[in-house]
Amino acid sequence: MGTLDGKVIVITGGGTGLGRSMAYRLAEEGANIVVAARRLPPLEETAAGVRERGGKALVVPTDVTDTAQTDRLIEKSLTEMGRIDVLINNAGIVRGERPKTMWEISDQDWRVGIDVNLSGAFYCSRAVSKYFADQKKGNIILVASGEGFRGQRNSFMYNTAKAGVVNLTRVMALTLAEYNVRVNCIVPGFVDTYDNQPEDYQKVMDEMRASGARRLFVPVGHSGKPDDIGYLGLFLCSDASDYVTAGIFISDGGGLAGGFATTGFAPTVSLEEGLA
Amino acid sequence: MTAKAFLLKDKVALVAGDSKLWAKPVAVALAEAGANVAIAAKDSPRLAEAAEAARKSGGKVTAIPTDVADAAQAQKAVDQVVAEHGRIDILVNAGDIQFFKPFTEITGDEWAKIMDCNFHGTLNFCRAAAKPMLAAKRGRIINIASGLAERGLANGSAYCVSMGCVLQLTRALALEWAEQGVTVNAIGTGWFLEPGAAPIDERLTRYIPAKRYGQPDEIGSLVVYLASDVTEFTTGQWMFVDGGLMAHA
Repeated sequence: MGTLDGKVIVITGGGTGLGRSMAYRLAEEGANIVVAARRLPPLEETAAGVRERGGKALVVPTDVTDTAQTDRLIEKSLTEMGRIDVLINNAGIVRGERPKTMWEISDQDWRVGIDVNLSGAFYCSRAVSKYFADQKKGNIILVASGEGFRGQRNSFMYNTAKAGVVNLTRVMALTLAEYNVRVNCIVPGFVDTYDNQPEDYQKVMDEMRASGARRLFVPVGHSGKPDDIGYLGLFLCSDASDYVTAGIFISDGGGLAGGFATTGFAPTVSLEEGLA
Repeated sequence: MTAKAFLLKDKVALVAGDSKLWAKPVAVALAEAGANVAIAAKDSPRLAEAAEAARKSGGKVTAIPTDVADAAQAQKAVDQVVAEHGRIDILVNAGDIQFFKPFTEITGDEWAKIMDCNFHGTLNFCRAAAKPMLAAKRGRIINIASGLAERGLANGSAYCVSMGCVLQLTRALALEWAEQGVTVNAIGTGWFLEPGAAPIDERLTRYIPAKRYGQPDEIGSLVVYLASDVTEFTTGQWMFVDGGLMAHA
Protein backbone atom coordinates (compact mmCIF):
# COMPACT_ATOMS: atom_id res chain seq x y z
CA MET A 1 0.00 0.00 0.00
CA GLY A 2 1.29 3.40 -0.90
CA THR A 3 0.49 6.93 0.12
CA LEU A 4 -0.71 7.74 -3.40
CA ASP A 5 -2.76 4.62 -4.13
CA GLY A 6 -5.21 5.19 -6.95
CA LYS A 7 -4.25 8.82 -7.54
CA VAL A 8 -3.74 10.06 -11.06
CA ILE A 9 -0.86 12.43 -11.62
CA VAL A 10 -0.18 14.20 -14.90
CA ILE A 11 3.47 15.09 -15.51
CA THR A 12 4.57 17.26 -18.42
CA GLY A 13 8.14 16.86 -19.53
CA GLY A 14 7.68 13.35 -18.23
CA GLY A 15 10.07 11.62 -20.61
CA THR A 16 13.33 12.68 -19.07
CA GLY A 17 15.27 13.83 -16.06
CA LEU A 18 13.21 15.33 -13.27
CA GLY A 19 9.90 14.34 -14.85
CA ARG A 20 10.93 10.72 -15.10
CA SER A 21 12.28 10.67 -11.55
CA MET A 22 9.02 12.10 -10.23
CA ALA A 23 7.01 9.58 -12.25
CA TYR A 24 8.94 6.68 -10.73
CA ARG A 25 8.95 7.95 -7.15
CA LEU A 26 5.20 8.59 -7.38
CA ALA A 27 4.47 5.24 -9.02
CA GLU A 28 6.32 3.50 -6.20
CA GLU A 29 3.77 5.02 -3.82
CA GLY A 30 0.87 3.67 -5.87
CA ALA A 31 0.12 6.55 -8.23
CA ASN A 32 -0.97 6.15 -11.82
CA ILE A 33 0.88 8.44 -14.15
CA VAL A 34 0.04 10.33 -17.31
CA VAL A 35 3.29 11.28 -19.02
CA ALA A 36 3.31 14.06 -21.56
CA ALA A 37 6.11 15.48 -23.65
CA ARG A 38 6.92 16.12 -27.29
CA ARG A 39 9.07 13.11 -28.08
CA LEU A 40 7.44 9.70 -27.96
CA PRO A 41 10.37 7.29 -27.35
CA PRO A 42 11.42 8.74 -23.97
CA LEU A 43 7.74 8.86 -22.95
CA GLU A 44 7.34 5.17 -23.73
CA GLU A 45 10.42 4.44 -21.64
CA THR A 46 9.05 6.35 -18.65
CA ALA A 47 5.67 4.65 -19.06
CA ALA A 48 7.34 1.25 -19.08
CA GLY A 49 9.21 2.19 -15.89
CA VAL A 50 5.96 3.25 -14.23
CA ARG A 51 4.33 -0.06 -15.16
CA GLU A 52 7.31 -1.99 -13.80
CA ARG A 53 6.65 -0.26 -10.51
CA GLY A 54 3.03 -1.36 -10.52
CA GLY A 55 1.38 1.82 -11.72
CA LYS A 56 -0.86 2.41 -14.66
CA ALA A 57 0.68 4.67 -17.26
CA LEU A 58 -0.80 6.71 -20.06
CA VAL A 59 1.34 8.32 -22.72
CA VAL A 60 0.06 11.52 -24.31
CA PRO A 61 2.51 13.17 -26.71
CA THR A 62 2.04 16.88 -26.08
CA ASP A 63 3.59 20.15 -27.11
CA VAL A 64 2.73 22.33 -24.11
CA THR A 65 2.96 25.50 -26.19
CA ASP A 66 -0.07 24.41 -28.22
CA THR A 67 -3.28 24.99 -26.27
CA ALA A 68 -5.27 22.51 -28.37
CA GLN A 69 -2.78 19.88 -27.24
CA THR A 70 -2.76 20.92 -23.58
CA ASP A 71 -6.57 20.86 -23.51
CA ARG A 72 -6.46 17.43 -25.11
CA LEU A 73 -3.92 16.22 -22.54
CA ILE A 74 -6.30 17.02 -19.69
CA GLU A 75 -9.36 15.62 -21.52
CA LYS A 76 -7.60 12.42 -22.43
CA SER A 77 -6.29 11.96 -18.90
CA LEU A 78 -9.82 12.30 -17.52
CA THR A 79 -11.39 10.03 -20.12
CA GLU A 80 -8.85 7.25 -19.91
CA MET A 81 -7.77 7.44 -16.25
CA GLY A 82 -11.07 8.65 -14.81
CA ARG A 83 -9.63 11.42 -12.64
CA ILE A 84 -6.77 13.81 -12.08
CA ASP A 85 -5.39 14.46 -8.62
CA VAL A 86 -2.23 16.34 -9.39
CA LEU A 87 -0.81 18.24 -12.35
CA ILE A 88 2.95 18.63 -12.39
CA ASN A 89 4.12 21.29 -14.83
CA ASN A 90 7.64 20.13 -15.40
CA ALA A 91 8.14 20.71 -19.12
CA GLY A 92 10.89 23.17 -19.96
CA ILE A 93 13.85 23.80 -22.16
CA VAL A 94 16.98 23.64 -20.06
CA ARG A 95 19.22 25.79 -22.19
CA GLY A 96 19.28 23.21 -24.94
CA GLU A 97 21.48 25.28 -27.16
CA ARG A 98 24.41 27.59 -26.96
CA PRO A 99 23.39 31.04 -25.81
CA LYS A 100 23.16 33.65 -28.52
CA THR A 101 24.17 37.24 -28.05
CA MET A 102 21.22 39.49 -27.34
CA TRP A 103 21.01 40.97 -30.83
CA GLU A 104 20.97 37.53 -32.42
CA ILE A 105 17.91 36.33 -30.53
CA SER A 106 14.96 36.11 -32.92
CA ASP A 107 11.32 36.76 -32.11
CA GLN A 108 10.83 33.05 -32.50
CA ASP A 109 13.66 32.24 -30.03
CA TRP A 110 12.08 34.54 -27.49
CA ARG A 111 8.57 33.18 -27.95
CA VAL A 112 9.62 29.55 -27.81
CA GLY A 113 11.73 30.11 -24.70
CA ILE A 114 8.95 31.90 -22.86
CA ASP A 115 6.22 29.59 -24.15
CA VAL A 116 7.84 26.31 -23.23
CA ASN A 117 9.07 27.43 -19.82
CA LEU A 118 6.21 29.65 -18.72
CA SER A 119 3.13 29.72 -20.98
CA GLY A 120 2.97 25.92 -21.16
CA ALA A 121 2.57 25.75 -17.38
CA PHE A 122 -0.26 28.25 -17.56
CA TYR A 123 -1.97 26.44 -20.45
CA CYS A 124 -1.91 23.07 -18.69
CA SER A 125 -2.99 24.57 -15.37
CA ARG A 126 -5.81 26.49 -17.03
CA ALA A 127 -6.96 23.34 -18.78
CA VAL A 128 -7.32 21.46 -15.49
CA SER A 129 -8.43 24.40 -13.33
CA LYS A 130 -12.19 24.14 -13.93
CA TYR A 131 -12.17 20.41 -13.22
CA PHE A 132 -10.26 21.01 -9.98
CA ALA A 133 -12.52 23.94 -9.01
CA ASP A 134 -15.70 21.96 -9.71
CA GLN A 135 -14.61 19.04 -7.57
CA LYS A 136 -13.33 21.43 -4.88
CA LYS A 137 -10.01 19.66 -4.73
CA GLY A 138 -6.84 19.85 -6.70
CA ASN A 139 -3.10 20.08 -6.60
CA ILE A 140 -0.86 21.85 -9.07
CA ILE A 141 2.92 21.77 -8.96
CA LEU A 142 5.19 23.98 -11.03
CA VAL A 143 8.87 23.53 -11.61
CA ALA A 144 10.93 26.72 -11.71
CA SER A 145 14.68 27.00 -11.28
CA GLY A 146 17.20 28.76 -9.09
CA GLU A 147 17.86 30.79 -12.23
CA GLY A 148 14.40 32.28 -11.72
CA PHE A 149 15.73 34.09 -8.66
CA ARG A 150 18.99 35.38 -10.10
CA GLY A 151 20.40 36.64 -13.37
CA GLN A 152 22.80 34.92 -15.69
CA ARG A 153 24.61 36.31 -18.71
CA ASN A 154 22.80 35.63 -21.99
CA SER A 155 20.15 33.46 -20.38
CA PHE A 156 17.25 35.64 -21.43
CA MET A 157 14.26 33.41 -21.97
CA TYR A 158 15.05 30.75 -19.39
CA ASN A 159 15.71 33.06 -16.45
CA THR A 160 12.85 35.37 -17.33
CA ALA A 161 10.34 32.58 -17.80
CA LYS A 162 11.40 30.77 -14.63
CA ALA A 163 10.99 33.96 -12.59
CA GLY A 164 7.51 34.09 -14.11
CA VAL A 165 6.84 30.53 -12.99
CA VAL A 166 7.63 31.48 -9.39
CA ASN A 167 5.08 34.25 -9.38
CA LEU A 168 2.55 32.29 -11.45
CA THR A 169 2.64 29.84 -8.54
CA ARG A 170 1.71 32.55 -6.06
CA VAL A 171 -1.04 34.01 -8.24
CA MET A 172 -2.63 30.63 -8.92
CA ALA A 173 -2.33 29.62 -5.27
CA LEU A 174 -4.15 32.75 -4.12
CA THR A 175 -6.73 32.52 -6.87
CA LEU A 176 -7.55 28.85 -6.47
CA ALA A 177 -7.31 28.62 -2.67
CA GLU A 178 -11.06 29.08 -2.28
CA TYR A 179 -11.61 25.99 -4.42
CA ASN A 180 -9.36 23.91 -2.20
CA VAL A 181 -6.78 23.73 -4.95
CA ARG A 182 -3.25 24.08 -3.74
CA VAL A 183 -0.39 25.28 -5.91
CA ASN A 184 3.29 24.94 -5.10
CA CYS A 185 6.59 25.42 -6.83
CA ILE A 186 9.67 23.23 -6.92
CA VAL A 187 12.95 25.05 -7.45
CA PRO A 188 15.80 22.79 -8.49
CA GLY A 189 19.34 24.04 -8.58
CA PHE A 190 21.83 22.40 -10.91
CA VAL A 191 20.59 18.88 -11.47
CA ASP A 192 22.28 16.45 -13.81
CA THR A 193 19.58 15.40 -16.23
CA TYR A 194 21.86 13.87 -18.73
CA ASP A 195 19.93 10.96 -20.14
CA ASN A 196 17.81 11.25 -23.23
CA GLN A 197 18.94 14.77 -23.94
CA PRO A 198 19.83 16.04 -27.41
CA GLU A 199 23.46 15.82 -28.39
CA ASP A 200 24.16 19.55 -28.28
CA TYR A 201 22.84 19.68 -24.73
CA GLN A 202 25.04 16.79 -23.69
CA LYS A 203 28.00 18.63 -25.16
CA VAL A 204 27.28 21.76 -23.13
CA MET A 205 26.87 19.61 -20.01
CA ASP A 206 30.16 17.82 -20.66
CA GLU A 207 31.99 21.10 -20.97
CA MET A 208 30.41 22.41 -17.79
CA ARG A 209 31.38 19.34 -15.86
CA ALA A 210 34.93 19.41 -17.17
CA SER A 211 35.37 23.06 -16.26
CA GLY A 212 34.11 22.56 -12.71
CA ALA A 213 32.12 25.77 -13.16
CA ARG A 214 29.11 24.45 -11.30
CA ARG A 215 31.06 23.77 -8.15
CA LEU A 216 31.63 27.50 -7.84
CA PHE A 217 27.94 28.06 -7.31
CA VAL A 218 26.90 25.00 -5.34
CA PRO A 219 27.89 25.05 -1.67
CA VAL A 220 27.61 21.27 -1.26
CA GLY A 221 30.14 20.99 -4.06
CA HIS A 222 28.25 18.89 -6.57
CA SER A 223 25.20 18.89 -8.81
CA GLY A 224 21.94 17.41 -7.64
CA LYS A 225 20.41 14.20 -8.94
CA PRO A 226 16.92 13.84 -10.36
CA ASP A 227 15.71 11.98 -7.27
CA ASP A 228 16.46 15.01 -5.09
CA ILE A 229 13.55 16.53 -6.96
CA GLY A 230 11.57 13.29 -7.35
CA TYR A 231 11.12 12.93 -3.60
CA LEU A 232 10.20 16.59 -3.23
CA GLY A 233 7.50 15.94 -5.83
CA LEU A 234 6.34 12.99 -3.76
CA PHE A 235 6.02 15.15 -0.65
CA LEU A 236 4.03 17.79 -2.52
CA CYS A 237 1.75 15.21 -4.19
CA SER A 238 0.95 13.44 -0.95
CA ASP A 239 -1.52 14.34 1.77
CA ALA A 240 1.45 15.10 4.00
CA SER A 241 1.43 18.55 2.42
CA ASP A 242 -2.33 19.13 2.53
CA TYR A 243 -2.11 22.57 4.17
CA VAL A 244 0.80 23.68 2.03
CA THR A 245 0.08 26.15 -0.73
CA ALA A 246 1.91 28.99 -2.45
CA GLY A 247 5.09 27.35 -1.22
CA ILE A 248 8.39 27.77 -2.99
CA PHE A 249 10.47 24.67 -2.33
CA ILE A 250 14.13 25.00 -3.13
CA SER A 251 16.45 22.01 -3.40
CA ASP A 252 19.70 23.38 -4.73
CA GLY A 253 22.62 22.26 -2.61
CA GLY A 254 22.57 25.61 -0.84
CA GLY A 255 23.07 27.70 -3.97
CA LEU A 256 20.51 30.38 -3.27
CA ALA A 257 21.57 30.70 0.36
CA GLY A 258 24.90 31.94 -0.98
CA GLY A 259 25.58 34.25 -3.83
CA PHE A 260 27.88 36.72 -2.13
CA ALA A 261 31.12 34.96 -2.94
CA THR A 262 32.25 31.85 -4.74
CA THR A 263 31.47 28.62 -2.98
CA GLY A 264 34.22 27.59 -0.62
CA PHE A 265 35.31 31.15 0.04
CA ALA A 266 35.55 31.32 3.82
CA PRO A 267 37.43 34.41 4.93
CA THR A 268 38.95 34.83 8.37
CA VAL A 269 39.19 38.28 9.88
CA SER A 270 39.85 38.51 13.61
CA LEU A 271 38.01 40.90 15.87
CA GLU A 272 41.24 42.84 16.40
CA GLU A 273 41.66 43.28 12.63
CA GLY A 274 38.02 44.21 12.26
CA LEU A 275 38.18 46.84 14.98
CA ALA A 276 41.60 48.17 14.02
CA MET B 1 28.29 68.07 -7.49
CA THR B 2 24.83 67.38 -6.24
CA ALA B 3 21.72 67.83 -8.40
CA LYS B 4 19.48 70.60 -7.11
CA ALA B 5 16.65 68.24 -6.21
CA PHE B 6 18.92 66.29 -3.87
CA LEU B 7 20.53 69.22 -2.08
CA LEU B 8 20.52 69.02 1.71
CA LYS B 9 21.06 72.67 2.39
CA ASP B 10 20.76 73.50 6.10
CA LYS B 11 19.69 69.99 6.98
CA VAL B 12 21.17 68.36 10.04
CA ALA B 13 22.64 64.90 9.67
CA LEU B 14 24.17 62.49 12.14
CA VAL B 15 26.45 59.69 10.94
CA ALA B 16 26.82 57.03 13.62
CA GLY B 17 28.80 53.85 13.97
CA ASP B 18 32.26 52.37 13.91
CA SER B 19 33.53 51.25 10.54
CA LYS B 20 36.70 51.33 8.51
CA LEU B 21 34.66 52.07 5.43
CA TRP B 22 31.73 54.35 5.84
CA ALA B 23 31.99 57.28 8.24
CA LYS B 24 34.26 59.44 6.12
CA PRO B 25 32.67 59.03 2.67
CA VAL B 26 29.15 59.30 4.07
CA ALA B 27 29.97 62.43 6.09
CA VAL B 28 31.74 63.99 3.10
CA ALA B 29 28.84 63.24 0.74
CA LEU B 30 26.31 64.76 3.13
CA ALA B 31 28.48 67.82 3.71
CA GLU B 32 29.04 68.30 -0.02
CA ALA B 33 25.27 68.22 -0.50
CA GLY B 34 24.98 71.09 1.97
CA ALA B 35 24.12 69.39 5.25
CA ASN B 36 25.54 70.15 8.66
CA VAL B 37 27.07 66.90 9.83
CA ALA B 38 27.80 65.30 13.16
CA ILE B 39 29.76 62.07 13.37
CA ALA B 40 29.38 59.76 16.36
CA ALA B 41 31.95 56.99 16.60
CA LYS B 42 34.59 55.76 18.96
CA ASP B 43 37.30 58.24 19.78
CA SER B 44 40.02 57.52 17.23
CA PRO B 45 42.14 59.14 14.52
CA ARG B 46 39.57 57.72 12.08
CA LEU B 47 36.85 59.88 13.62
CA ALA B 48 39.02 62.99 13.50
CA GLU B 49 39.97 62.27 9.91
CA ALA B 50 36.34 61.80 8.84
CA ALA B 51 35.35 65.07 10.50
CA GLU B 52 38.26 66.91 8.95
CA ALA B 53 37.43 65.61 5.45
CA ALA B 54 33.75 66.58 5.82
CA ARG B 55 34.72 70.00 7.14
CA LYS B 56 36.72 70.64 3.96
CA SER B 57 33.57 69.94 1.97
CA GLY B 58 31.70 72.75 3.66
CA GLY B 59 29.01 72.88 6.29
CA LYS B 60 29.35 72.70 10.01
CA VAL B 61 30.90 69.44 11.17
CA THR B 62 31.03 68.07 14.70
CA ALA B 63 32.86 64.98 15.87
CA ILE B 64 31.21 63.34 18.86
CA PRO B 65 33.34 60.62 20.44
CA THR B 66 30.81 57.94 21.40
CA ASP B 67 30.65 54.36 22.47
CA VAL B 68 27.78 53.56 20.10
CA ALA B 69 26.95 50.34 21.95
CA ASP B 70 26.07 52.40 25.02
CA ALA B 71 22.46 53.58 24.75
CA ALA B 72 23.02 56.50 27.11
CA GLN B 73 25.94 57.75 25.07
CA ALA B 74 23.94 57.44 21.85
CA GLN B 75 21.16 59.44 23.46
CA LYS B 76 23.68 62.04 24.57
CA ALA B 77 25.06 62.33 21.04
CA VAL B 78 21.60 62.89 19.57
CA ASP B 79 20.78 65.38 22.35
CA GLN B 80 23.97 67.27 21.54
CA VAL B 81 23.03 67.50 17.85
CA VAL B 82 19.53 68.70 18.64
CA ALA B 83 20.87 71.21 21.21
CA GLU B 84 23.32 72.58 18.68
CA HIS B 85 21.07 72.74 15.60
CA GLY B 86 17.58 72.65 16.98
CA ARG B 87 16.74 69.45 15.16
CA ILE B 88 17.94 66.25 13.48
CA ASP B 89 16.81 65.53 9.92
CA ILE B 90 18.99 62.65 8.86
CA LEU B 91 20.48 59.68 10.69
CA VAL B 92 22.88 57.36 8.88
CA ASN B 93 23.78 54.23 10.79
CA ALA B 94 27.11 53.18 9.41
CA GLY B 95 28.40 50.64 11.91
CA ASP B 96 30.23 47.86 10.13
CA ILE B 97 32.92 45.79 11.77
CA GLN B 98 34.04 42.90 9.61
CA PHE B 99 34.66 39.69 11.48
CA PHE B 100 34.90 36.24 9.94
CA LYS B 101 35.65 33.11 11.89
CA PRO B 102 34.43 29.50 12.01
CA PHE B 103 31.22 29.37 14.03
CA THR B 104 32.49 26.85 16.58
CA GLU B 105 35.47 29.04 17.43
CA ILE B 106 33.62 32.31 18.02
CA THR B 107 33.63 33.29 21.70
CA GLY B 108 30.70 34.81 23.53
CA ASP B 109 32.63 38.04 23.88
CA GLU B 110 33.22 38.17 20.13
CA TRP B 111 29.52 37.64 19.45
CA ALA B 112 28.67 40.40 21.89
CA LYS B 113 31.19 42.79 20.39
CA ILE B 114 29.99 42.24 16.80
CA MET B 115 26.35 42.60 17.76
CA ASP B 116 27.24 45.74 19.73
CA CYS B 117 29.12 47.38 16.86
CA ASN B 118 26.98 46.29 13.95
CA PHE B 119 23.52 46.10 15.42
CA HIS B 120 23.11 47.62 18.87
CA GLY B 121 24.75 50.84 17.72
CA THR B 122 22.11 51.15 15.00
CA LEU B 123 19.38 50.23 17.45
CA ASN B 124 20.55 52.77 20.02
CA PHE B 125 20.66 55.61 17.52
CA CYS B 126 17.24 54.74 16.05
CA ARG B 127 15.81 54.84 19.55
CA ALA B 128 17.50 58.11 20.37
CA ALA B 129 16.60 59.86 17.10
CA ALA B 130 13.02 58.60 17.00
CA LYS B 131 11.63 61.15 19.41
CA PRO B 132 12.82 64.35 17.71
CA MET B 133 12.09 62.96 14.23
CA LEU B 134 8.57 61.83 15.10
CA ALA B 135 7.90 65.11 16.86
CA ALA B 136 8.98 66.96 13.72
CA LYS B 137 6.94 64.55 11.57
CA ARG B 138 9.94 64.32 9.33
CA GLY B 139 13.04 62.23 9.30
CA ARG B 140 15.35 60.17 7.19
CA ILE B 141 17.00 57.11 8.65
CA ILE B 142 19.46 55.29 6.44
CA ASN B 143 21.02 52.07 7.65
CA ILE B 144 23.96 50.54 5.86
CA ALA B 145 23.43 46.78 5.68
CA SER B 146 25.66 44.41 3.76
CA GLY B 147 24.03 41.97 1.33
CA LEU B 148 25.16 39.41 3.90
CA ALA B 149 22.02 40.44 5.79
CA GLU B 150 20.35 38.05 3.37
CA ARG B 151 23.03 35.84 1.84
CA GLY B 152 25.08 33.33 3.76
CA LEU B 153 28.86 33.14 3.87
CA ALA B 154 31.08 30.47 5.42
CA ASN B 155 32.77 31.88 8.55
CA GLY B 156 30.37 34.81 8.38
CA SER B 157 27.77 33.73 10.95
CA ALA B 158 28.23 36.61 13.42
CA TYR B 159 28.55 39.21 10.69
CA CYS B 160 25.57 37.86 8.73
CA VAL B 161 23.37 37.80 11.83
CA SER B 162 24.32 41.31 12.88
CA MET B 163 23.51 42.65 9.43
CA GLY B 164 20.26 40.68 9.23
CA CYS B 165 19.19 42.44 12.43
CA VAL B 166 19.89 45.83 10.89
CA LEU B 167 17.86 44.95 7.78
CA GLN B 168 14.83 43.73 9.70
CA LEU B 169 14.93 46.72 12.05
CA THR B 170 14.87 48.86 8.91
CA ARG B 171 11.77 47.18 7.53
CA ALA B 172 9.88 47.07 10.81
CA LEU B 173 10.52 50.73 11.66
CA ALA B 174 9.62 51.78 8.11
CA LEU B 175 6.18 50.25 8.56
CA GLU B 176 5.77 51.56 12.08
CA TRP B 177 6.52 55.13 11.06
CA ALA B 178 5.16 55.05 7.51
CA GLU B 179 2.40 57.53 8.27
CA GLN B 180 4.53 59.77 10.41
CA GLY B 181 6.90 61.27 7.90
CA VAL B 182 9.93 59.31 8.99
CA THR B 183 11.35 57.09 6.26
CA VAL B 184 13.66 54.22 7.09
CA ASN B 185 15.70 52.65 4.33
CA ALA B 186 18.79 50.54 4.00
CA ILE B 187 21.70 50.75 1.63
CA GLY B 188 22.88 47.32 0.60
CA THR B 189 26.57 46.85 0.04
CA GLY B 190 28.65 44.23 -1.69
CA TRP B 191 32.42 43.87 -1.43
CA PHE B 192 34.17 47.14 -0.68
CA LEU B 193 37.78 47.97 0.09
CA GLU B 194 39.33 50.77 2.05
CA PRO B 195 41.23 53.03 -0.32
CA GLY B 196 44.66 51.51 -0.86
CA ALA B 197 43.81 48.12 0.64
CA ALA B 198 44.58 44.97 -1.33
CA PRO B 199 41.75 42.71 -2.53
CA ILE B 200 40.96 40.02 0.03
CA ASP B 201 40.81 37.34 -2.63
CA GLU B 202 41.38 37.36 -6.39
CA ARG B 203 38.53 34.90 -7.00
CA LEU B 204 36.17 37.38 -5.44
CA THR B 205 37.17 40.08 -7.89
CA ARG B 206 36.22 37.79 -10.76
CA TYR B 207 32.98 36.84 -9.02
CA ILE B 208 31.73 40.40 -8.82
CA PRO B 209 29.91 41.22 -12.09
CA ALA B 210 31.63 44.61 -12.25
CA LYS B 211 34.96 42.74 -11.84
CA ARG B 212 36.16 45.05 -9.10
CA TYR B 213 35.57 45.90 -5.46
CA GLY B 214 33.61 49.00 -4.63
CA GLN B 215 35.22 52.18 -3.32
CA PRO B 216 33.51 53.38 -0.14
CA ASP B 217 32.73 56.82 -1.58
CA GLU B 218 30.56 55.14 -4.22
CA ILE B 219 27.70 54.87 -1.73
CA GLY B 220 27.72 58.63 -1.07
CA SER B 221 25.31 59.60 -3.83
CA LEU B 222 22.73 57.05 -2.71
CA VAL B 223 23.01 58.26 0.89
CA VAL B 224 22.32 61.80 -0.32
CA TYR B 225 19.43 60.69 -2.51
CA LEU B 226 17.75 58.81 0.33
CA ALA B 227 18.40 61.71 2.70
CA SER B 228 16.84 64.26 0.35
CA ASP B 229 13.33 65.66 0.20
CA VAL B 230 12.44 63.78 -2.99
CA THR B 231 12.29 60.37 -1.28
CA GLU B 232 9.43 60.93 1.11
CA PHE B 233 7.43 58.12 -0.55
CA THR B 234 10.36 55.70 -0.40
CA THR B 235 10.52 53.67 2.77
CA GLY B 236 11.36 50.16 3.91
CA GLN B 237 13.63 49.65 0.95
CA TRP B 238 17.05 48.07 0.63
CA MET B 239 18.91 49.65 -2.28
CA PHE B 240 22.17 48.22 -3.46
CA VAL B 241 25.53 49.58 -4.45
CA ASP B 242 27.28 46.32 -5.21
CA GLY B 243 28.55 46.18 -8.80
CA GLY B 244 25.76 43.73 -9.65
CA LEU B 245 26.76 41.21 -6.99
CA MET B 246 23.29 40.36 -5.71
CA ALA B 247 21.89 39.81 -9.21
CA HIS B 248 23.85 36.71 -10.03
CA ALA B 249 23.89 33.13 -8.86
